[in-house]
Formats: sequence, structure tokens, C-alpha cells
Amino acid sequence: MNSEPRKLPGRWSRRKRDIGTVVWISFLAACAGTFVIFAILDPDALNDAWVLPWEMGRRLAYSLGFLFLFVVSLIASGLTVFMIRTGPDRGHASGEGRRPPPEIRSPEEDNPDLDLGDWK
Amino acid sequence: MTDQSGTGESLYRKEPKIYPRQVKGRFARLRVIAVWVLLGLFYLIPWIEIGGKQSVLFDLPARKFYILGMTFWPQDFVYLALLMITAGLSLFFFTALAGRLWCGFACPQTVWTEVFIWVEQWIEGDRPKRIKLDKSPWNANKILRKSTKQALWILLSAWTGFTFVGFFSPIRELGAGIMSFSLGPWETFWTIFYGFATYGNAGFLREQVCKYMCPYARFQSAMFDKDTLIISYDTARGEPRGGRRKTDDLKEKGLGECINCTLCVQVCPTGIDIRDGLQYECIACAACIDVCDQVMDKMDYPRGLVRYTTEHALKHNEGHVIRPRIMVYGLLLLVIISGTLWGMTHRVPLRADLIRDRNALYRELPGDLIENVYTLKITNMDDSPHQYDMTVLNNDEVEIDLSRPLVLQAEEVAGISVRLRIPKSAGQGVQALEIEFQAQDDPSIKKQVTAKALMPIEFGN
Repeated sequence: MNSEPRKLPGRWSRRKRDIGTVVWISFLAACAGTFVIFAILDPDALNDAWVLPWEMGRRLAYSLGFLFLFVVSLIASGLTVFMIRTGPDRGHASGEGRRPPPEIRSPEEDNPDLDLGDWK
Repeated sequence: MTDQSGTGESLYRKEPKIYPRQVKGRFARLRVIAVWVLLGLFYLIPWIEIGGKQSVLFDLPARKFYILGMTFWPQDFVYLALLMITAGLSLFFFTALAGRLWCGFACPQTVWTEVFIWVEQWIEGDRPKRIKLDKSPWNANKILRKSTKQALWILLSAWTGFTFVGFFSPIRELGAGIMSFSLGPWETFWTIFYGFATYGNAGFLREQVCKYMCPYARFQSAMFDKDTLIISYDTARGEPRGGRRKTDDLKEKGLGECINCTLCVQVCPTGIDIRDGLQYECIACAACIDVCDQVMDKMDYPRGLVRYTTEHALKHNEGHVIRPRIMVYGLLLLVIISGTLWGMTHRVPLRADLIRDRNALYRELPGDLIENVYTLKITNMDDSPHQYDMTVLNNDEVEIDLSRPLVLQAEEVAGISVRLRIPKSAGQGVQALEIEFQAQDDPSIKKQVTAKALMPIEFGN
């Protein structure tokens, strides 16, 4: 991990930037998703499909739809940031900070008594 | 965590390809059993029929799931939620108990990779032969072996894709469709898609999925504690490592019991050295335990230089696998699973809702009767037809007028117009009527709903 050399006043830390980006991008994605979904789908059709035991008004359906998409996007973006930040320090294409791969040798090389038999 | 020492490795060296060596032993046998059971279930289940229906079929267009003779409707969503909670909790439970059991024995990534490696070993031989084959120039032997392996892999992938789609579209019809080249576009697309995914994940990506893409690998440390069973190398016993003859006196030579044969590295499907300690790449397949035990046997040392143990046990020779955390997870799991099973077996296969006509208030009829109009949405979730009785429980003077008799075929959904004529004596304003539906041939199939009735409010009385 590259730690920032020193803290500059007024600058956001990496974590703060991560959170800000995740929340904002998820919000935008959820907005776009809500817009598209409810342009095509009338929430009243959900009542006719009769999955819920009560009638859901349009306004509530829009809000729940947006919140649902927002949560899903937050999970996706949050996990993505998490996976990238906690990624392995070994095996990056750039090779920076790589540990050498473990040494492999012939088992019998230094162990003349080790008889590998059929799995030689 | 930059390696400043620069152990002579070029930064631009290619990540070495991993050729896992074949391994035999207790855990390898367990994995073989797991693979046969899991893949056996996967490939066979769609072909088994229960009560004239495919045993597991997720019929998406009809919005019904058929699972082992039971039919699930969209309204049974709660069972899906419970299933997911159970799955999550099981993962917590087993991870806290014995680390990444899931990864080593049950994850589809592992299971299919294992089968693909079996094919590879069968065609190309074990690790040394595979390395040699890859290094050799392209000759007739190499072309034959490589193309046979690819052909088998593609066949296996295609069969996997086909089976997967068979869970969503009746597999016998699907098979007939393939035979006559009359498969629909969606079925064709998803069969190829899942076949491709199988080939890519198990043949090509393999351990890269676990190392770079799997979130569980990153989260697991949060579920571990110092009493979790993990695969560990006993450093105190093994170090200093080094080659030796069987007759060597270890004390004299200043050696531990690790003979540094590196077989534990060679069998590792993710190419790590377990002797470096717990690493997130380790998928707990226990291949290193199996191979090390064999080496220990051959050297006449006690087994278990690499073994399942806990951090506490390794450091202080103590530790308790059964601990409050395990008991709480186990108890929760037991409660949820038994609750789900009870709920599933005690489901009433009838669903009814009375929805008041949104546009009408009420109608006054001669004889001091007030009429309210409803739509009765009723579903017979059973697989046999039923006729139902409808009764108002808290007012036996209410007249019920149905637009059609309450006879429903198996799995029928009906919308029936219902008029309830209520005597004025029932009250004013909003009145709640308790209504019961009951199957005539099976009194245990009954359902109560509350209907809200609007009654005139008379002022000045």
C-alpha cells in the first residue's frame, strides 16, 4: 500500500474519498436505474401481479424501487472498492512489491532416503 | 509491505503457471467424495421426476418453482430469504469452526476445477509430465494430447451449460430440442454462456478466481478467531528445515522435522508455501496435509507436521474448538433450519385476499342491507382441485354473492367478484368482517382474511 507521505490540510484521506465516490456513484446509478425501470413499468402492475398482501401506492413503489437500487449499487461499489484496496500485493502485473514464488525442488534431491514410489 | 530485500527476482518475471501435483490421502478422498456427490446431484437431479414433474425446476415464465414435489409461488418469497440467511449463517458457522471448508470441498470453483484437473492428469499425466509436455515443441504427441484435453473440457463444459439450463427449462424437452436442432434462442444463449463460464473458470482461470476475484477470501479473516481450525505448519517442530538421511540424528545436525522436499508446495493448487503461515490464497484443500503425512510416514516421523489445528493449540498447546461463538451460530442455524422446514411442511396450500372495489363506496339495498363489492383473489396452491366454502365468522347474517362458484383447479389463480350484503345492524363506519375459506374435502386447508366493509354513518341518532 502506498501511504500518503504527509497529511495536507483540507485534503480528503483515501478512505474518505473512497466512501464519497461509492455513495455518489451509487446514487447516480440508482437514479438512472429508477428512471428507466419506472418509465417502462407501472407500479400498479405490481398490485395486479398480487405478490404483496397489500396495495402499494405509486409514490411508495417509486421510493422503494429507488432505495432498493441504491442499496444494491452501494453493495456493488463498496465491495469493488474493498476488493481493490485489499487486493494481493503479490502478482500484480507491474510486479511492484512482489514476493518471489515459493521455491520448488526435486523432493529426493537432498533426501536420498525419500522413496516417492508411484507418485514420483 | 514492499519487499526491499530484492531476493533476485526480476520485477518483470512472469507469474509461474501452477501445475498441481496429484495427491492421495484422507482429504483427497474426502474431496473426491464431495465432487462425486455434488456434481452427481447437479447432473442427475433434473432428470429425476417426482409426481410427474421434474424434481427441481425453476419455471421462471410461470413464476413457479418445483422443488422435490413441492410448488413454490412468488408469495413464498420468505422461504428464499430464509434460505439465504441459512446459507450465510452456515458460512459463518463452518468458517468459525474449521476455516475455509467451503473453499476446499464444496465451492463450485473448486469442484469443477478438480474435475478439469482430473481430465488434464488423465490425458497429460502428473505434474512433471505436464511441465515437460508444455516445454516440448509442438509435435504429433503434444497436439494429440492437448486437443484431446480441450475436446473433453469443451464437452464437459457444454454438458454443464446444458444441465444448468435444464434447471430452468424442462430438461427432457431441452434435450430433445438439442437433438433436433430446434432450441429456442434464449436456451441456446444460456447453454453456451454457462458452458463458456465453466470452461473459463475451471479450465483457464482456476486459482486466479480465488486469489483476485472472490470476496469470501477477503472476508474470511473477520470470521476467524484463535480457536478456528486452520491448516498450519508446525514451525516449532519443523524448523530448521533441511535435507537429511533417514539415519541422521536431528539434534546432532541441528534440524527440525521438515525435510524441505517442497512437496507441499507442489501439490498446492494456489501455488503457495504453507510453511510461510496462514495466507489468504490458501483455500484449505488440505492437499499439503495429505502429502506431508505420506512423507512423514516414509521418513518414520510422526504425522501432522502440517495439520488442522488452531492458533491457540499451536502456541500454547491448548484451545477449545467448541466455544460460545460456535454454539451460538449452531443454535441459530438449528432454529432457522427447523423453523423453515416446519413452515414449508405446514404450508396451507390456499391463498386468498379480499380487495375492496376502489371506485365504489357502498350501496343501500331494500331490507336495510348495505352492499360492499370486492374482488376475491384466490389461489389454489395445491396440486389437486378443491371446492371451498366461504363463511363470515363474526356475522352470520351477511349474505354472500359470488360471480362464480368457488371451485378451483390445481394451481389455479382466480379473480372473483364478491358482493357482501350486510345488515345495517352490523354497525356504522368501517366494519371488519372475519371471513374464512375452507376446502370442502380437506378441512385442514383453510384461510382467514379480514374484509373491511364501509357502512353508512347516520348522524343525529
